[in-house]
This record gives sequence, structure tokens and C-alpha cells, in this order.
Amino acid sequence: MKTVYVCSDSVTGIFSAVYDAWKAQKAEEKCGIVLQGFMEQQLFCDYVEVEETEAKTVAVERMIRKHMGLLAYHDIYQAALSADVEKGDAILGTMLAAKGLKDSTKIMEHLSHPKVEKVFELSRRVGNESHFFVEFIRFRELESGILYAPISPKCHVLTCIAPHFADRFPLENWMIHDKTHRSFAVHETRKKWVLVQEAYGEAKRQEYEEKFKKMSEKETEYEALFKSFCKTIAIKERENPVCQRGHLPLWYRPDMVEFS
Amino acid sequence: MRIQEAMSVYDKLNILTDAAKYDVACTSSGVSRKNDGTGVGNCKLSGICHSFSADGRCISLLKILFTNECIYDCKYCINRRSNDVVRTAFTPDEICTLMMEFYRRNYIEGLFLSSGVLKSPDYTMELIYATLYKLRNEHNFQGYIHVKAIPGASQELISRVGFLTDRMSVNLELPTAESLKLLAPHKTRKNILSPMRLVQKRMAQNKQELVVYRNAPQFVPAGQSTQMIVGATPETDYQIMQVAESLYQKFELKRVFYSAFVHVNEDSSLPARTDDGPPLLREHRLYQADWLLRYYHFQADELLSEENPNFNVLFDPKCNWALKHLEEFPVEVNRADYKKLLRVPGIGYKSAGRIVRARQLGKLDFADLKKIGVVLKRALYFITCSGRMMYPTKLEEDYIMRNLLDAGEKLPQEVVNMGYRQLSLFDDVRFDTDKVMRVK
Repeated sequence: MKTVYVCSDSVTGIFSAVYDAWKAQKAEEKCGIVLQGFMEQQLFCDYVEVEETEAKTVAVERMIRKHMGLLAYHDIYQAALSADVEKGDAILGTMLAAKGLKDSTKIMEHLSHPKVEKVFELSRRVGNESHFFVEFIRFRELESGILYAPISPKCHVLTCIAPHFADRFPLENWMIHDKTHRSFAVHETRKKWVLVQEAYGEAKRQEYEEKFKKMSEKETEYEALFKSFCKTIAIKERENPVCQRGHLPLWYRPDMVEFS
Repeated sequence: MRIQEAMSVYDKLNILTDAAKYDVACTSSGVSRKNDGTGVGNCKLSGICHSFSADGRCISLLKILFTNECIYDCKYCINRRSNDVVRTAFTPDEICTLMMEFYRRNYIEGLFLSSGVLKSPDYTMELIYATLYKLRNEHNFQGYIHVKAIPGASQELISRVGFLTDRMSVNLELPTAESLKLLAPHKTRKNILSPMRLVQKRMAQNKQELVVYRNAPQFVPAGQSTQMIVGATPETDYQIMQVAESLYQKFELKRVFYSAFVHVNEDSSLPARTDDGPPLLREHRLYQADWLLRYYHFQADELLSEENPNFNVLFDPKCNWALKHLEEFPVEVNRADYKKLLRVPGIGYKSAGRIVRARQLGKLDFADLKKIGVVLKRALYFITCSGRMMYPTKLEEDYIMRNLLDAGEKLPQEVVNMGYRQLSLFDDVRFDTDKVMRVK
């Protein structure tokens, strides 16, 4: 009988599920992980709800770092942030495959293994998306002087992009708002950044929207300057919207000043 | 011409951006620097593009001229002194404020500062120095700065600016000294190459200083680059590639940029205006070949020759090389060394690296190659996996060529539009009529 561990869509959830599956010491085809809400019941499967704890997460993280190395941890962590339903299975499969290798740190090079390949692909997707957001995030200055940036990513990219901005603007108060997953990365001057996850409802969402509309006086001026800069810098004789879309897909644009 | 005093920053930005847009280098890569916790900004090794303009080129730096006043009269340049355009100049403070406000909103990755020559090269360079000094010291800006060295400025000034900037570039403008004489009569090859040599020497010296004292100030840490205009003068692709190669080897440049000539001025020494637009395909092929030089261990001589001095319109330079050297193929993916893999069309340097690592842990098949990122529709004629080809194919130039074209290989727009002239190679170089006569 196959045991399937059911967990929530978060790093804590997936790592806790990996912890339980690992403890049970089953072969790869005898265990799996599914995300809550994306379950497709199958025959001959035992569904087990995972108890999600910080301790389990830390233990799994430590194990991956120690035996599979930092680079593999980086890939697995990023894969856990992706928007793919089968990510839990892929991560568990990769870890079990690593167990079979003489040198487990080489696991991410084993691309002919389907689960490893999946993790590699998911990690690359999350990595690319977070890189795009590092590029395309636009801050606006609110009345209070806080820099605020709304984004609507597909994957949970906040934890990948916040460190970059924390290093870049150590003296600023800034905040990145992930509208898809309803969470914030908040940074206060000279302090460490924090992740705030708040499952707010519709009323609260509207309240936030109102609140973040109030911008500082200078803001419109600089927005206008940048808009005209973007327009002027293009060379008319070389116009090529297809090339532009290839580099900057349309779905990133609603939150960017130069396209609004 | 006078500088108008009352002009707003908005207007100035428009004019000086418009004047700077023909400069190509908009990269922000090559240096990695963390913020020290007291200022604004950092640098990422990979570089960050922040937006893309309507022509599909990236916007990563605030690309502006300090002033568009110029004492020179380069025939191809919109800012030549004989052109009647509105002239203006920023002040160092205006640039600093604009820079910092744009940067903290994550609009841009840094500053790209070039300039027309105001009064004299030294005077202009001094203004640029003043701007950078303010930006680095008063505003504590730790992000990326790219500066154009003005040809003819004193060595002292160039070395001082070098310590404030991340990348410095001197524009080669045109591939040969004769063309330069023809189109940019006030610039000389010597004036352009000597600052380039100076920066190269100073960088080497700086490396020694950094060994002795880790915190010594860095001199042009992201290296230097240059750019040349393609299609304004009759040089062949072969000549251009040779110039680029020698710049990489003798001057240790990080990048050479190519800029398709855009008609902005009417002048008898410029090529006649046509409806074809700038030679974008040619520029594209040059960039492809440039990549082959820098990442794929190719030499300019392998790609082109005296007899065959221009790139193929239909195939990229690597594919073209492979078709002419079929004796080197097929390559066995599970055994061939890294350099051999790099020469296969459809395998890039990233895929080649992944293949070399992945095959130590298991035999690779065509399905695995696809996942690794190999473009099979191009590579399949040139590789075997464990001794087998993907489909039974012939190793003949004509056969492969026909199949590659049939396989929906996306043809460049210029080729599609060529119509009856299909077989001519780059007749946009110059002397358009001459060529037509000869063909007849």
C-alpha cells in the first residue's frame, strides 16, 4: 500500500511531509506527497495528514544541507516555492534518489532521473521568475515616505527577492506586497527584513488598496520623468514589439509605471 | 548656440536621452559589490535589466549625455556641431538627484554617462568627474556607473575618473582608421586607442595593488568596452571580426558592441538612404559571432575568410561553420570533450556544461538532452547518443541545409522580405548600385 502525505502549500508543509516520509523509510514508489486542495484520490493509497512543525522543517533543512550540499538545498528550496502541484513528490523523489548515490552532493547533476530533472526545472522557473521581479519591481513613495511595491507573481518569490533589496536599500523603509499569495516583505531602516503572511479578506484588501494609493508629492513627477525617458530611449527605426515581449512578458506589466 | 537657462529637468532629460540613445552598451554586469550598510546601492555580477523599450533593447542604466553641445563634427552623429538642434546641459546636481530618485524606485541599475565635447575634452571630462564625485561621496551611491572616456582627455583625468566608475569605454566609432578619417575628421585612431591602453595598464597595476592591500580603491572593476558603427562604411564582416578579435586579445576588453548604422544626418560621405532601415540582421550576426569568440573558443579566421568575407544570411555563424566542417561530425554526446560539444549547433555553453556533468551519473539519451536544454531540431544532424542518431539522416551539406530550412527554422525578417534579391549578400554595405551592376 502506498502512503501519501498531505500537506499545505508552503516550505514548512512540504519539509514536514518529507520528514514524515523519510522517517517511515519507504521505497520511492511506496510514498508520495500531495498538496492540500489538489488531491486526486487514488485506489490503494493511504492518505495521512501531516502535522506541520518548525522542528521538522529545521531537521529536514539541516539534513539536506549536510548531506546534499548548499547548492542542492538552494534548488530544493526554490522548487518548494514553485506553483507546481507535484513539487512535493519531486522533492521527495530527489532526496530518495540522492540516498542511492555514492556522493549525494552530486544529486543535482543527475539530470537523467525524472524527479531530479523536475526539481531542476522547478528551481530554474522560480529562479527566473524571482530574477524578473528583481528587475521589474517598481517602488512608489507613499505619503509617509515608505517605498511600496505591489507584485502579482505566480510562485512564492518574496523570500528570494527580499534579501536583494535589503542589501541594496539598507537605509530605506520599504515593503513588497505579494498580491497573489497575500503576503508582505517589510524592511525597516537598518533592520533585518521580515516576512508577513496575512490571509486578509476582501474588505481588508480594499482597505489596503485605498491606503497604498496615497502617494507623496514628488512621486507623480518622477513617474512622468521615467515614462518619458523610456519612450525617448527607443530608436524608432528599430522598433520591435515582439522582441520586447520576449524579454518582458505582458503579465509583468500591469504593476510597472512605464506601462501604466 | 547658447545653453538655455530656463529649461526644466523634464525637457533636458528628453533632449539628452534622445541624444544618447544611439550608444549601445547598456550592460550592468561584471562587478559584484555589496552595500556597506551606510549608503544606497549594490552591484550584481550578472547585471540587471530593469525594462525593455519599444525597440526591444534593455533599459538598465540611466543613459544620458552630460551635454549635447559638441565641438566635433562627426558625420554620422546627431549632435555634430553643424546640426541645428536644441542644445542643453545638465548640472552635476541635477544628474545626482535624478539618479538617486530613479534608483530607489528600482527604475534603473545605475548611470551611463556620456557627453558631447564641451569646450575641450579636458573640460568635459572634468565635469563628468565632478558628477561622479558628488554621486559617490555626497550621495554615497554604491551602484553601477558606466562612463565614456572622452578621446583626447588627459591621462590624469582619466585615471581619476577610473577610480569612481565601474566600467569605462572609449568608442572606436568605426572599424578602420581610414573610415574614421572620412567620417569623424576630428578624431584619430591614436586618440581613441591611447586611453584604452591607459585603462588596460592601470587595471593591471590595480590588480597588484589589490593583492598587497585588499581595501585599495578599485580601478574600473567591470573592465572596459567599446562600440563601433556597422554599415556606415564599406568594411566587410571579416574585417570587423578581426578588429574585434584583436581588441579582445590585445586590449583585454570585456565587450565590443556593434551598432547598426541609423540614418540621422544627410551627408555626401554617408551611404545613400534606402528604405531598408538599419542593417539589423548584419548586426545580429556580428553579435552571434562575437559570442562565439568569447564563449565558444572560436577564432575569427575559422568563421570567415578573405574569399568569404561576409556572414551567411540564412544560418547563424556556428551552424554555417558546422555545415562547412562536416568531417568533424557526428559528435558522440556521451564521450566528446567539452570543447567539441561547444561546436555543435544547438548546444550552448550551459547545456554543454550540464551534459559533461550529467553523463558521469548515467548514459544520456535524446530525451534527456531535450530536458537539459539542447535544441534538438538543430543538433540532431550533428550528434549521436551511444552511437545512434535520433533519426536516420545523411551527413551531407545540402541535405542538412534543406532540412534545417524546412524544419521551420525561424528566418530573419530581412530574409523573408528579400523577395527577388534572395541570393545577394548584404548589399546594404554601400555602393548599392555598383553591386547590382556587377551581378548583371
